[in-house]
This record gives sequence, structure tokens and C-alpha cells, in this order.
Amino acid sequence: MGLRQDTAGEERDQTRATLAQLSETRKQRATDARDHEYERLRDELVVGHLRLVRFLAAKFVNRGEPLDDLIQVGTVGLIKAIDRYDLDRGVEFTTYATPTIVGEIKRYFRDKGWALKVPRRLQELNAAVVRAVERLSIERGRSPLVGELAEHLGASVEEIVEAQELSHAYNLASLDADIGSDDDPRSATISDRIGANDSELELLEDRANLERAMLALNGRERAVVYWRFFESLSQTEIAKRLHCSQMHVSRLQAKALEKLRTVLKE
Amino acid sequence: MTASNGESRDSVVVRIPRKAEWVAVARLAVAAVAIRLHFSYEEIEDLKLAVAEACTHAIRTETGETITVECEPFEDSLRVRIGTDDAEHEHDHADDIGLFLIRSLMDDVTYGRSGEILMTKRITT
Repeated sequence: MGLRQDTAGEERDQTRATLAQLSETRKQRATDARDHEYERLRDELVVGHLRLVRFLAAKFVNRGEPLDDLIQVGTVGLIKAIDRYDLDRGVEFTTYATPTIVGEIKRYFRDKGWALKVPRRLQELNAAVVRAVERLSIERGRSPLVGELAEHLGASVEEIVEAQELSHAYNLASLDADIGSDDDPRSATISDRIGANDSELELLEDRANLERAMLALNGRERAVVYWRFFESLSQTEIAKRLHCSQMHVSRLQAKALEKLRTVLKE
Repeated sequence: MTASNGESRDSVVVRIPRKAEWVAVARLAVAAVAIRLHFSYEEIEDLKLAVAEACTHAIRTETGETITVECEPFEDSLRVRIGTDDAEHEHDHADDIGLFLIRSLMDDVTYGRSGEILMTKRITT
């Protein structure tokens, strides 16, 4: 709320004056942009807009990166905005700086491979919710409230709801496309092959290779492999979590292992 | 669903009280629609953030009892219309960081006559 006022009136005039000075300095000493005066004016502008950066960075804090890191990359965006800002274009500095700062923060997430990481985070939270429901139900003799789950797991109520409903729905929606034929003739015999696959997986010493290979799997297949081989859940248990049949899990697992094998052979 | 220049057939409308504690419901509703359209995770996070900002804007500067959030799914995009039930109020879209933020998260943002915000996010695949 304070930001609305920040950008208004005096502070805005001050910003404009400093930017004008900065622009002058830039023109005069184009050969030596690192000039002391330029730096001083730039610092002044950076400090004056840190609150904007903090405000924007805080909006992205539920995406799994520490606020301090986001403020840091946001500040890089702010500096870029200051360096690139052109007074003559007549746009308010805040109008100009906001997309640059947001852009920098978003690039940071992209570079960190965030798109892969967050679904996994939600999947983990989802698994944690399932465990917590069991535990709290036993402890309290009744089904826990979402608020209690949130408190227990140190997550927000919205995250719990999402982990339960949306991570599941998200996987379903995007993964149905490449699940393949349900009439796979191999499916009937797959349970026989699982034992062998299991030991093959155990023999894998190079976890890095496996991790790389796991990227070839879609979210559902990855979840099946993870739950089956790292958490040793039964196919029936996995079926319950994915709201599908045990046969389907069996097929997913076979397909996943097939993919892993292909990638690892390469 | 049709291309974004036409009318969307499957619109989803959620109406919440114009109070901060209901904004999460709007966020989740829009996210749920976006999931059906095969948006990526990051795009959905962006949408949720934009919805929250638009609702916050309505709470802070608009008047009225309720906020209506309408999702219009198209083949290649999702348009979200967020406005209050008070169309008479004077609207100020000039100087609000939240609106700048929305503009940097969405592909297209326009303001309706009655103070509503129309924002479109395209699906990139």
C-alpha cells in the first residue's frame, strides 16, 4: 500500500531529477561509465527503489526460492532498468523498471530448471500430506482439518489444497496425451519382469546417469518409479495415490523402465 | 473453445466477497481452469499471481460487495476478467505497482469500462 504513495508526488520528482542527472553524466563521460559520480547517482536510485524490488520479489516467494536470492536477482534487474532507462521516452521509471525486475526474477527461475522442480516439490508435499493425514487421524481420533495439516507440515493452507488436488490434476491433464495404448499386449506379463528390473536398478551405481535418464520420463512415470523403487510402495498403494487401477500402474512402470533402459543404453 | 478472437463457449465464473480472505479461492479457481488448458507450471503460477494482484486492486481501489472472476478458455489462451459489482465508481488504473506486475506477467491487459481488468495469457508449448 505504501508503494502507491512512494511512486507518487515528491519521491517521483526526486527520481526523475536523479535520472536526469544520471543521463547527463552518462552522456558526458560515455568513455568512462564507471565514473564515480555516475556510480553515486546509480546507487542512490538503487537504494531508492529497493522497496519496489522487495515488493516484487516477495510475490514470487512461494515458488521455492529464498526471498533473499529473489531480492538479489531483482536488484540486478533494477540496475539494468536504471542503466537502460531513457528519460525522453516519457514513461514513469517504475512502469519501466517493473517488467525488467520481474523479467530478471523469472529468468532466474528458468535458469534453475524451476519448471521441473516445482511439480516435484508439490508431489513431495502431496506424499507428506497423505502421511500427515494418517498420523493426525490416529493422534486425534478424527480426520484433521486442512489448517491443522498446514501447521503440521509448515505449509500454507493453499499449498495443501493444491498439493492434494492440483498436482494430481496437473499430472493427469498433461500426461494423458503420451500414456500410449492401453491394449499393450505385454501388460499381462509385466509383473514377471519387474523382479528383474528391480535388481537391474539396484545395480546402477551411477546415480547421475539414472537421474539424467529419469528426465526422459513424464511426471506419472517418474512418480511410479520413485514410489515403487525408492519408497518401496506396492503397485496397489501407488494405484490408490494416482487414482487408477493397479494394472495401469503396472503398465506405467513397465513403460518407465523401458524408457530408462533405452536412455541408459545410449 | 475457439480461437481467442471469438467467443469462448466454456466460461467459468467465480464470485467472491470483496475481501482479502477470499482471494485464495479466486487464485485456485483460475489455476484449476488453467490446468485443464495445459498451461505449464510457471504459467499457472504467473496467472495465480496476476489474479491475486487484480483482486487486491479491486479490494483497494474499487467499491462494491463482490468480485467476479470470469475465466474464458480459448484454444490458445485463457482470458480472465476481474471486476466488481459496482460499475458506477470512478476508476483509477493509472499508478499501481500491482497493475504493472500484472502487465509483466500476462500477454495482454486491458481495462473494461466498468473498471474491470481483462487479462489474457497465451499457452506456450
